[in-house]
Amino acid sequence: MNDFVYKWRNPIFGSVSVVLFFLGWEALLTWAIPLNPFIMSKPSLIFEGLWLEMQSGQLWSDLLISGQPFIFGFGAAIVVGIFVGTMMGWRARVGYALDPLLTALYASPLVAIAPLVIIFFGVGVSGKAILIFVLCVFPFVFNTYAGVKSVDRLLVNVVRSLGGNERDIYLKVIVPSVLPFIIAGARYAIGRALVGILVGEFFAATAGIGYRIAWFSDMFELSRMFGYILVMMVVAVLFTEGIRWAERAAFPWRVGM
Amino acid sequence: MVAYIEAKNVNLIFTPPNRMPVTALKDFNISVGEGEFVSIVGPSGCGKSTFLNVLLGLIPPHSGEMAINGKRVSGPGQDRAMVFQEFGLLPWRTVLNNVELGLELKGVATSERRPVSQKFIEMVGLAGFEGHYPHELSGGMKQRVGLARALATDPDVLLMDEPFAALDAQTRDIMQAELLRIWQEAKKTVLFVTHQIEEAVYLSDRVIVMTKRPGRAKKIIDIPLPRPRDYEMRVTQEFNDLKLQLWNELKDELTVHGNG
Ligand SMILES: Nc1ncnc2c1ncn2[C@@H]1O[C@H](COP(=O)(O)OP(=O)(O)OP(=O)(O)O)[C@@H](O)[C@H]1O
Ligand SMILES: [Mg+2]
Repeated sequence: MNDFVYKWRNPIFGSVSVVLFFLGWEALLTWAIPLNPFIMSKPSLIFEGLWLEMQSGQLWSDLLISGQPFIFGFGAAIVVGIFVGTMMGWRARVGYALDPLLTALYASPLVAIAPLVIIFFGVGVSGKAILIFVLCVFPFVFNTYAGVKSVDRLLVNVVRSLGGNERDIYLKVIVPSVLPFIIAGARYAIGRALVGILVGEFFAATAGIGYRIAWFSDMFELSRMFGYILVMMVVAVLFTEGIRWAERAAFPWRVGM
Repeated sequence: MVAYIEAKNVNLIFTPPNRMPVTALKDFNISVGEGEFVSIVGPSGCGKSTFLNVLLGLIPPHSGEMAINGKRVSGPGQDRAMVFQEFGLLPWRTVLNNVELGLELKGVATSERRPVSQKFIEMVGLAGFEGHYPHELSGGMKQRVGLARALATDPDVLLMDEPFAALDAQTRDIMQAELLRIWQEAKKTVLFVTHQIEEAVYLSDRVIVMTKRPGRAKKIIDIPLPRPRDYEMRVTQEFNDLKLQLWNELKDELTVHGNG
């Protein structure tokens, strides 16, 4: 029994706080404060609404619609980010030239240009994909950049001295050095991508998770709205925890992860 | 003696960006016979590691000639292997995979390189740690992985940059004996950098004393002790005389205020 608790203590303690949070919320609005459904909701109603959305298939079709720009935008951010970051790390001048500009862009709240992106690229998949791309590309650029810069010269020399060619250096030193940085970048990027989806769909859309959240809010269907927000939270947790798990599985040599 | 490793007037200047250039080697000359065990001693920062790196083919010298077995050194070659001062283990590889690296790069099949790496892992006393990652090892253990990695490639020339510096005294004694055994059995040529005078005398045929930076070979001391060497030799008068002679050469090069 004790072994069991010890092994699973992280998920156990983690779930306790979540369950208590929902119970407290439910209790508060059941006994303490009278529920005004125009401005609040409570877990029992939220889960009931979510159940109905699932049964009607609405939730799944919204997820599918939001998933498309996510995949395109995020995929492009990975490819372009890694390429630009590698260039910056390899060619010192490219690094010096781009660093200040890209740092400024990375640090600024780029969601602010969402309306502009939608005006330029339309309300379809492409507008949203571009918004997600713009938000996600920077973590990939900067993490790849940092990764390439941090490659240990000594290890390159070790491989070279043992008869390794360029390809060996690339595959046996550079890729394994940089990969953990890129995966860590992906964890930041996921959060930004989800914000991008929501904001993109708030502005202009006829379907999708973000659209549905905005629409339910306008309709004062707060239980449904919270249901969708809950779904986004679950998606975010699944992604980040999934990446974290993959990191631990793929990089057992990383200390303290 | 026919020169097997020969360095003639090797000059090397480091020009780090935004810093003063550093002359690490100036008119550096040495000549080592085939199968010889030669140690290099000299003050910290005098260019010992730099010289080994040039000989390994990692840094091209600015001028001068460097040849092994009559062939000019123009880049790394599989006739040489280095035990690096800072170990240089790949953190994402286990002990076994680190030791195997050289053979892997040579294109030796897994089934063939396994027993070889296993043999050297056992030799350096790391049996049972094959699956460990470098961050799970002590400094001395890491150093022995680097040693096993270099030995596993079975090089003709073994370049060793303070290979036992991180070891405790007892492990060091064991490793010294193993090194002498391998050297004698496999007829390797060894260049051995150390700060330990006793170690240099005990292991070597000759000891090269370097000046402080810019490093030159200042004096070469013959060690005429009989072989095979054994542990008791270290307490003989002859051994202590050699230590004293080496110390006298070295002490002029040591200044408290560093490398100016
Ligand atoms: N990559 C480099 N860039 C600039 N200077 C360097 C570089 N490598 C070494 N040096 C300089 O060259 C000199 C010789 O360095 P080296 O590492 O060869 O010394 P060493 O004799 O091995 O010293 P130690 O006994 O402390 O290991 C030092 O003054 C060092 O600062
Ligand atoms: Mg050194």
